[in-house]
Amino acid sequence: MLDTLLPILIAGALALAVVGAWRRVRLWRQGRPAPVSLLKGLAAIPRRYLVDLHHVVARDKMISNTHVATAGGFVAAAVLMVLVHGLGLAEGILGWVLLAASATMFAGSCFVARRRRNPPARLSKGPWMRLPKSLMAFSLSTFAITLPAVGLLPEDFGSWILALVLSAVLVWGLGEMFFGMTWGGPMKHAFAGALHLAFHRRPDRFSTKEGGEGRSTGLKALNLDDHEAPLGVETPSDFTWNQLLGFDACVQCGRCEAVCPAFAAGQPLNPKKLIQDMVVGMAGGSDAEYAGSPYPGKPVGEHEGSADGPIVARQGKALVDADTLWSCTTCRACVEECPMMIEHVDAIVDMRRFMTLEHGNTPNKGAEVLDNLIATDNPGGFDPGARMHWAADLALPLMADRGEAEVLLWLGDGAYDMRNQRTLRSLVKVLRAADVDFAVLGDEERDSGDVARRLGDEATFQSLAKRNIATLSKYRFKRIVTCDPHSFHVLGNEYGELGGEYEVRHHSTFIAELYDAGKLAFAPWKGGRVTYHDPCYLGRYNGEFEAPRNVLKALGIEVAEMERSGFRSRCCGGGGGAAITDVPGKQRIPDMRMGDVGETGADMVAVGCPQCTAMLEGVVDSTAEVRDIAELVANALVEAPASAGDRSQAQGPQAVEVS
Amino acid sequence: MSEILRRDPRKEWIARNRLHPKHLEVLAELGRGAASEWMGPQGLVRKNPHAVGFMGPHGIRRIDRSGVQQGQGAGGARASAAVSKPRVEIDEPAFLVTVVPDMGGGRLSGHDRDLLGLARQLADADPDARGAVAVVTFGAAPEDVDEAGADRVIALEAVEGFAPERRLVLLEAVEREFAPRHWLLPDSGLGGGDLGRRMAARLGERPVTGLWQVIEDPEAPLGWQCTARGAAGSKDILRPMPRLVMALAECAEPISETRHAATPLMLEAGLPEVSEPALPGGVDAPWIEDLGQVPVDPAGVALSEAEFILSAGNGVRDWDGFHEAAKVLGATEGASRVAVDDGYMPRDRQVGATGTWVTARVYVAVGISGAIQHLQGIQPCEKVISINMDAGCDMVKRADLAVIGDAAAVLSALVARVQSARGQEGATESSDASATTDKEARNAA
Amino acid sequence: MPPDIQAPKRRASTTPVLDVVALVSVGRHPVTGRGRRADLDARGVELALSLPEAQTRLVHAGRYDADSEQALRGYLGMGFKDLTLLEQPAGSDVSVALGEALEDWGPQLVIAGERAEQGEGSGMLAYLLAERLGWPLVQGLAAIEEVSQGVATVLQALPRGQRRRLKVRLPAIVTVDSAAPAARQSAFGPARRGECQSLTVDACKDEALSSWTMQPARKRPKRLKIVKAASARDRFKAAAAKAEGGGGQVLSDVTPDEGAEAIYKLLKDEGVLR
Repeated sequence: MLDTLLPILIAGALALAVVGAWRRVRLWRQGRPAPVSLLKGLAAIPRRYLVDLHHVVARDKMISNTHVATAGGFVAAAVLMVLVHGLGLAEGILGWVLLAASATMFAGSCFVARRRRNPPARLSKGPWMRLPKSLMAFSLSTFAITLPAVGLLPEDFGSWILALVLSAVLVWGLGEMFFGMTWGGPMKHAFAGALHLAFHRRPDRFSTKEGGEGRSTGLKALNLDDHEAPLGVETPSDFTWNQLLGFDACVQCGRCEAVCPAFAAGQPLNPKKLIQDMVVGMAGGSDAEYAGSPYPGKPVGEHEGSADGPIVARQGKALVDADTLWSCTTCRACVEECPMMIEHVDAIVDMRRFMTLEHGNTPNKGAEVLDNLIATDNPGGFDPGARMHWAADLALPLMADRGEAEVLLWLGDGAYDMRNQRTLRSLVKVLRAADVDFAVLGDEERDSGDVARRLGDEATFQSLAKRNIATLSKYRFKRIVTCDPHSFHVLGNEYGELGGEYEVRHHSTFIAELYDAGKLAFAPWKGGRVTYHDPCYLGRYNGEFEAPRNVLKALGIEVAEMERSGFRSRCCGGGGGAAITDVPGKQRIPDMRMGDVGETGADMVAVGCPQCTAMLEGVVDSTAEVRDIAELVANALVEAPASAGDRSQAQGPQAVEVS
Repeated sequence: MSEILRRDPRKEWIARNRLHPKHLEVLAELGRGAASEWMGPQGLVRKNPHAVGFMGPHGIRRIDRSGVQQGQGAGGARASAAVSKPRVEIDEPAFLVTVVPDMGGGRLSGHDRDLLGLARQLADADPDARGAVAVVTFGAAPEDVDEAGADRVIALEAVEGFAPERRLVLLEAVEREFAPRHWLLPDSGLGGGDLGRRMAARLGERPVTGLWQVIEDPEAPLGWQCTARGAAGSKDILRPMPRLVMALAECAEPISETRHAATPLMLEAGLPEVSEPALPGGVDAPWIEDLGQVPVDPAGVALSEAEFILSAGNGVRDWDGFHEAAKVLGATEGASRVAVDDGYMPRDRQVGATGTWVTARVYVAVGISGAIQHLQGIQPCEKVISINMDAGCDMVKRADLAVIGDAAAVLSALVARVQSARGQEGATESSDASATTDKEARNAA
Repeated sequence: MPPDIQAPKRRASTTPVLDVVALVSVGRHPVTGRGRRADLDARGVELALSLPEAQTRLVHAGRYDADSEQALRGYLGMGFKDLTLLEQPAGSDVSVALGEALEDWGPQLVIAGERAEQGEGSGMLAYLLAERLGWPLVQGLAAIEEVSQGVATVLQALPRGQRRRLKVRLPAIVTVDSAAPAARQSAFGPARRGECQSLTVDACKDEALSSWTMQPARKRPKRLKIVKAASARDRFKAAAAKAEGGGGQVLSDVTPDEGAEAIYKLLKDEGVLR
C-alpha cells in the first residue's frame, strides 16, 4: 500500500510547494526592481551558505552543529526521498544513504528539541515551538518507510494500521517541510534564505575564493536627479524585491534582539520584530501572530499594514511607529549577528529617508540639526569661519596654502566641540612628533554628511558630499587621516558612489603604522587598568579592531577587555543621530556601556571616536575616565627611543597638556 | 551717600553771610539753598518757609540759622544735586521735536530717556534757532519729564490697553496742529514701534526704523544723516534722516544735567473721534478689541524667551522645594541633561548645547556641576549664580556668584528671604493698590 | 515631535473656508548669510497651517533667481503645492504690487512676519498694506486661537513670555512675533515638487532705497556706566569699586541664610524679582 501512496504523497507535497513558491515569489516581486545576476547568484549559494553564513552561525558551536546535522540531514533526505520513494530507485546504496541522512536529521532535531525546552527570551515561540516535533516526524517517518526499501524489514511488515499511522506522521513531516517551506511556516527560512543569499543586495559582503574580507557597509545613494524616483520607503512595496526577500529569510533567532543597544535600553525597537513587521506588511495583515519579544513598551497586535499601505502613519498607527525607527543607533550589531545576513540598518535608513524627505518629520532636535547643516555646513549651527579657532595657536598648515601634503588631516565637526579639541590637539602633537607631512582643509572643510544621511536627509548628505569632493579634488594628498570614525566611514565607503575615492585611515591605524615604523617612542605606562571601547563605525563598519589595541599595547597598556568588545562591542548610543532624535527609554545606552566598563574594573576607558567620548563622558558618577587614544599617545610621547626611560619626560595620564 | 560729615569752616562762614558774593552758590552746594530760597522770574528772591529747617530728634522742626545743618534734612548730596540742576527754558522755539515715549507702567523707560536725549540733540543743534522738545503722552505726563529733557508736554487723553487706532488719531491731531519738524518714537516691539509705523503709513511718510546714530549734515533735507539697522540687524543703512524716526535704545545719552520747563501744550482743536470705516463682510464688531493680558505661568515660559531661569541638576534632591522656589521667585524652570534623563524634568526644559540655548539675564544653577555642553548653552547669560556643594566644579568657576552649600537649605532660605521682603513691601505699599500692577507693567516693558 | 506635513486639506463644502494669504520672503541666515526661509515668515505660515479651516496661499513679491528659488522652495516644503510669485526686480517697492494683488483676491486674513531679513527690513510692509486696504492690523502675534464669524481671536506676544488676547475683525492683516511656534521642518520632496507660479505685475522702483548706503552692521559701542557723582566721595567710590565680571565671588563656609541673602541681593539688583 505504501508503495502506491508514497509517490502520490511526495508528488503532492512537491506540487503544493511549487505553488507556494510561486505565490511567495509574487509577494517579493511587489517590491521595486533591483538588478541582480540570477545565474551567478544561484551558483554562489553553496559557497555563501557554507562559508559566510556558516561563519556567523558557528559563533555558537552547539547551534551550528545542530543546524549542520538537521539541515544537512534534511537536504540529503529530501533529495533521496524523491529518488527512492518518489521514483522508486531504491536499489543499491541510495536507500542506505537515505537511512543515514534521516537518522542524522533525527539526531539534529533532538538537539533542536532540547533547545526549545527552555528557550531564551530572544527566540520566537508560536509555530517555532512545533518545529522540533515536525523535524522528528519527518526524519522518523522517512527512516521508517525506508527500512523496507533497503530490505531491513519485510515489505509487508506490520498491519495496514501501522502503515496508515506512518503515512499520517509522514504527511505531517512533509507538510511542515515542503508545504510549510513555501507557504509561510517556520521552514520558510530555508527557501527564502537560500534565495536571499543568491540575490543579496550587498554581494560584496560575501567572501570569494580569492579572499577579501567581505565587508560592505556604506549606505546606498538615492538617485536625486530622477524626480520620479521615490524618496525612501513609504510602503513595504517601496523596498526592492530582494530586500523583501531578505526580510522573509528571518529565522526569528533573536540574535539581533540580544545585541541591540536600543532594545536593551528599553527604547521601542526590536530588530527582529521590525523585520517580522515588514513581512507582515508585505503579505498584509496584523502583527497579532508574532510570537517573540515585542518592541519595549508597545503591545503586540495593535499594528497592521499592507504591501501598498504606509509603514509609518502620518497620524495614528500603521505598521510601525516612527519612534521605533528613530531609536536605531545604526550600530550594525544586528546586521553583524544576523545568521541570515539581513540588512536591518539599510531598511531603517530607507524608511527614515521617507519620513525626513517627504513627511518632514525628523523628531526632536533632528530638524534643527538638518537646518544647521544646510545653512552652516555643521550640525551645531556654528560659523563656518570659526572652524579653526581652536587651533589659532597651532599654526596648522592649510591645504589652501600648500596645495599638497602626504596626509590630509580631516578634523570633523569635533573642531567646534571643546572636549574633542583636546583630542585634536593631542593628535596634532603626535603627528608633529612623528614628523608627518600633513595639512588641514581649515575653513574649507564641511561636515562629512554622516548625521544628515543617517537621519534620512539624503539631499543634504549629497550636497555636503559633493562639495567636499570638489574641495578635495583641488589638492594632492596620499591619504586622509581622521580621528572621527564617522567621517572615516563616510569618506572611505560612501563618497565613492558620488565620485570621491580616497584612502582613509583612522588615527589609531595611522599611529600604529607610525609606531611600527619607529617614528614614535613612548614612556612606560604608569596609569591604572584600562579597557578599550570599539567604536561601531571603526570596528563593525570598517573592521578595524586590531590597530587601536596595538597602539595601547605599544603604550604598555594591557587592555582589560569588556565582555562585549570587538565585533560584538556595544554602541555608545551616539550613532545614527540617536543622540539627536533622543527617543526615551528605560535607561540610557551610554550608562549601560559605562556599566560594561565598570565590570572590567578599569579606571580608564580608551576610545577612538568623538561621539563615544561625548556620550561616555556624559555618564554621571562613572567609575572610569574617558580618554581618546590620541590623548594617551600624546601624553606618553618621549623625544627619542633612547630617552624612553627618562622619568622627567613621563607624564601621568591625568595631565592633559599639549604644547 | 556720605555718612561722615566733613566740615568746611570757610563754607559755613559764607553760608551764614548773606552778603557774600558766593552765598547762594555755597548754599546750593550745601544742599539747602535751592530748596528753600531761589531767584524768582522777576529777579526777586523767593523763599519757601516749609523747606527750611529739619526734623529734630523729638519730632519737632528745628531751624538752624547758622545754615550748616540744613543740608542733612534734605537727604544728602544726591537729592540736593537733583534739585540744583540748571534750568533751561526755550520760550520761542524755532521748531518742535515731538517724542512719544512708551511709558510702560506710567514711567519713562530707559529707552524713552535715550530718545529724549536724541530729541535734545536735534533741538539744540543750532544755538541760534533752538527747537523745543515736546513729549506727547496718553494720560498725565510723569513728574520727572522735566528732568528728562522736555520743554513742552502734550498730554492727550488716556488710552487704556491695546488701542492703536485711537492713539493714531490723537497723534494725527497733534501733527495737524503743531506740525513738528521731527517725530521720535522708540522702536520697541509693542509700543512706539507699532505706533510709529502706523503713523508713517497714515501720514505717507517714509520713516527710519532701527536708528541708532545721527550725524549733522547740512546737505540733508532736515540737516541730519542717520545710521539705522536694517535686514534684521545685519546691515547698517546710512541715509538722510526723515521726519519720522523710530530709534533703538542707547541711540543717545539721556539728559541728566539740566532741567527743562515742561510747559503744558493744549490741542486747540480738541480731540477728534475715531471712525472705523466699514469692512467687507458686514460683521458688526469693533476693529480690535482688547480682552486683556492672559495669565502666564512663569515656569511654563519657553526657555529661550525666559529672562530669569532657575535650573536644576544632578545635585537637587528636594524637587518639591525646587519647584516651590521657582514659583516664589517667579523664575522659569530649567534643567541639566542629567535631571532630564533621570525623568525629574521634561525634555523641553533641558538647557545646554544639546538642549535649549538660553539668553536669560539671570541664570541660577542649582546643583549643576557644569558640563561643557551645559556651559556652552548658557554662554549668553549675563549673571550666573551657582548653588553647589562642590566648590571646585566648572559651574562655580563660571558663576558670578557661587554659594557653596546644600542646595535645598539655601533655596529654602532664599524663599524665606524673598517672602519676608515681600511681606515688608506689602506693609509699606499696601496703601497704593496700583503699585504692584505698575511694577509688573514696568517689568513687562 | 513636530507636526506632520500634510497636503492642504480638502474640505467638505459645509465648513466655511477661510481665505488666508501668507506673505513669504527670502530670509538670510544670521551666521552665514545664506538664503533660507525667513524665520518670522515661516512662523506665519505655520500659524496659517494651524488654522483647520484655512485655505492658505503663499505669496512672494520680489526677485526670483536661483538663490531666492532655493529659499522659497523651503516654504513649499512645509506642505504646499504651489506658491504665487509676483516677480519684481531687485530694489522694487513690493508694497505696491502686493497691495494691488490683495485688493484683487480679497482674502480674509493676511499673515506676514514682522520684518524682513533682507533689504531695508523696516517692518513697514504690513502697515502700508493695511493702510491701503483700510483693514485692521495686529502686530506681534504668538498664536491665532480661533476664527469664527468674521472675527479672529489672537494672542499677542508681550515681553517676558507674557501674552495679551485680542479680537480682531476680518479681513485683517496680522504680523508674527518670534514667540510664535517654530515653523515645521521643510521637507525635500514637497519642496522639489512644488511650483512657483509667476504672475506678471508692474514693478515700482524704490528710488530712495537705491540712494542709501548699505553696509554690514557695525558693532555698536557698549554704553559705559558714567557716574555723574555730585561729590568727590561718590566719584571716588565709583572709581574704586570692584570692576564687574572679573571672576565671580565664591561664598564657601556660609550659612544657608547668608548665602540666600547674597543671592537675594543680586536678584534684586538685576531687577528680576517681581
